[in-house]
Amino acid sequence: MWLPDWPLTRLHRARRAEPLAADAPFVLVDKTVHGLRLACVNAAARAHGLEAGLRFADAKARLPALTYEEMDPLADAAALEGLAGWMIRFSPLVALDGADGLMLEVTGCAHLYGGEAEMLTHISERLARHHIRAQLGLAGTQGAAWAIARHRAGVCLASDETRIGLAALPVAGLRLTGEALVLLRRFGLVQIGQLYGIDRKALARRFRSAEAAGAVLLRLDQALGQRAEPLDPLTPLPARTARLNCPEPIGSTQAVELGLERLAVMLCDELAKSGQGARGFALHAFRVDGAVSSIATTTAQAIRTPEHIIRLLSEKLDEIDPGFGIDVLLLEARRTGAMDISAQALSGDLAANATDIAAVSALVDRIRAKLGEDRVRLPVAINSHIPERAEARPRFEAGAFGAEAATVPMPVGPRPIRLFDPPERVEVLASVPDGPPVRFVWRRLTRRIVRADGPERIAPEWWRHQPAAPAPVPDEAEAKWLTPKLDPRADAELIAKARARLQAPPEAEASQPVRALPRARDYYRIEDETGHRYWVFRDGLYNDKRGGAPDWYVQGQFA
Amino acid sequence: MSSVGSLSGLPKGVFRARVSHPCTRAGGHGRFPFGLGQAGVHEICEAGHGDLAALTGFALMAANLREGPVLWVSQFGLARDHGQVLRAGLAQFGPRVDRPLVMVAAHKRVEALWTVEEAIRSGAVGTVIAELDGADFTASRRLALASSRHGCPALLLMPYTREGATAATARWRVSPRPSGPNRFDASAPGHPRLQAVLERSRQSPHLAGSVYNLEWNDETLSLNVAAGLAADTAPSREAG
Repeated sequence: MWLPDWPLTRLHRARRAEPLAADAPFVLVDKTVHGLRLACVNAAARAHGLEAGLRFADAKARLPALTYEEMDPLADAAALEGLAGWMIRFSPLVALDGADGLMLEVTGCAHLYGGEAEMLTHISERLARHHIRAQLGLAGTQGAAWAIARHRAGVCLASDETRIGLAALPVAGLRLTGEALVLLRRFGLVQIGQLYGIDRKALARRFRSAEAAGAVLLRLDQALGQRAEPLDPLTPLPARTARLNCPEPIGSTQAVELGLERLAVMLCDELAKSGQGARGFALHAFRVDGAVSSIATTTAQAIRTPEHIIRLLSEKLDEIDPGFGIDVLLLEARRTGAMDISAQALSGDLAANATDIAAVSALVDRIRAKLGEDRVRLPVAINSHIPERAEARPRFEAGAFGAEAATVPMPVGPRPIRLFDPPERVEVLASVPDGPPVRFVWRRLTRRIVRADGPERIAPEWWRHQPAAPAPVPDEAEAKWLTPKLDPRADAELIAKARARLQAPPEAEASQPVRALPRARDYYRIEDETGHRYWVFRDGLYNDKRGGAPDWYVQGQFA
Repeated sequence: MSSVGSLSGLPKGVFRARVSHPCTRAGGHGRFPFGLGQAGVHEICEAGHGDLAALTGFALMAANLREGPVLWVSQFGLARDHGQVLRAGLAQFGPRVDRPLVMVAAHKRVEALWTVEEAIRSGAVGTVIAELDGADFTASRRLALASSRHGCPALLLMPYTREGATAATARWRVSPRPSGPNRFDASAPGHPRLQAVLERSRQSPHLAGSVYNLEWNDETLSLNVAAGLAADTAPSREAG
């Protein structure tokens, strides 16, 4: 599917409120290294002999009344992606093809429209209704379809007719550019059919560069289906979908909700037949005006309960913008997999011991749908001595919730009930340098310590520490340049100092404090006059050669 | 262990009494008679700013949680100001609070309240513990109704600003007290002590205003009314 002058089409669609005059010559210009050039011209401008690629200055000289605007390639690409999303209603596999084309894999979809030719007509009618200029072609391979869309629009080629159908088309239809195209024209090879008869080796030998020869052969093989060309679809093929065609466009949220209810039942029946469940669901609403709006949700466990799906998605139904009406609803199951169906104990007494993971997952799903995807977390112990690292909070997963990790040893010393992460720095007065504090200022309040317990020393995890890159030692040339060029008689002392610094042995540098090294922490459990109990630590020891005087931090509070 | 008969004044199911009522015993010491986390909505509030760690401890010391996972809802601002709850810190309160834990981070008070109500109604969790910056009467009424209908208890940990009427089963006001003597090191803190005031009680209004000076014994994992401290009575407030 080729969208000629897509940037112009997009601009027309974007300016529906105040349309551009169709009969006035209008161009889109693009900034290139050689100045402004025309990128897209409309029909009126083309009638005046303007073409894409012309310098804007020349065009303006030829046609002073020319109106113009600058290209917006990002908006064009985004709009093309939006259109591709909408095309999913025709086939689940849609790929972008350059900046002005789309590729649809319609195998198995055409019968829904009564045949391939009918499908092509249907699509082009729908596009024409939205004033999207498009040329369509259908063939057995991507290469052939590309050629037909551009050079014989509207034709359906059966797979066995590819060779004959392409024969009369120009070689430009082989997706070739630059040197290869120029050379082929120079050889007098203008039609694709002329390439069929030439021996491959003989053809390749004629090109100066191996790339050009390779490109011609590759594109020819791809067009004829002799070499595979996988499609790179915009969205991966959903595992299961349920689809609802609305008899007439719907515009109200209630109607969408009704549709969602029917779709959920359909989809869950499908999943149940294959014994599967899904961990993600997406509802796509295809609007009549060529846009699609989607909502999606994930679950903590594979499910196939219609009520649950409806409940999760209906939280977000407001986000669907019906626009001028929705005519197709599509519910998609993502991340499908085998579902384990474990029977719940019928007796409440028996069930009380075990956690009902399915019920917890359902609750977590609802909380996530309301608050956000990453709000529900599961505390997991990590094998680390550093308190703020010792507990991770990954997102809730039903599988992880059931299995308790018992491999991590519990910390030896007392741990606070509330932990500050990161620790908060405090001003401290300690009676002896290596002892507990006597008084400290935290959050602007001075707290006098009455009792203290400790220390519990937690050594840094040196295996986690990445040593900083050593400071670059100036090589000979650099050292020469760095040496101050002063008059030796005037500033002998300064020069001597600079020399000494440059020539200092590396051992002397290593004895300098390296701030990046982690320091051992001494933790104290302390209590102030009012009975508040804190967990403070001194980050480092005096004279540990890892920085200056150590700082104090509050890391937690005890009950 | 004294007779259970002294508990007859307490309604069943609301406070789970374990041993005798402190006021009935001379000297005013023994085990803390109330168990949280069996039924109803309990509000536990700070007495002053910075007491949140103490009241979190009180909730867990006094708790005798039902079977089933705990949903811990934490409002963003509180966790930032007072620190986040540690699993390793929770473990020290023994098997009565050792339950599978799911943490939920709420940004706003309404989100936290919604989550609490949703969890109570779902029946999927044993207990809901929420730390949030306040709740009005309507919210407490909603939660109390949901809790009584679905049987899932909720503990609401709130800052000192929480005052006024409530529909919750009880409201406790907790502050830390200097800890008990340490047998091994006179200069080290001993067993943590707290003061808990039963500020409001819907089921037994005559107990409103009772003050309990409590001491947590981390060897026997029991919360006792501290010996040698008078369990004095504060001027009673009107029950909400």
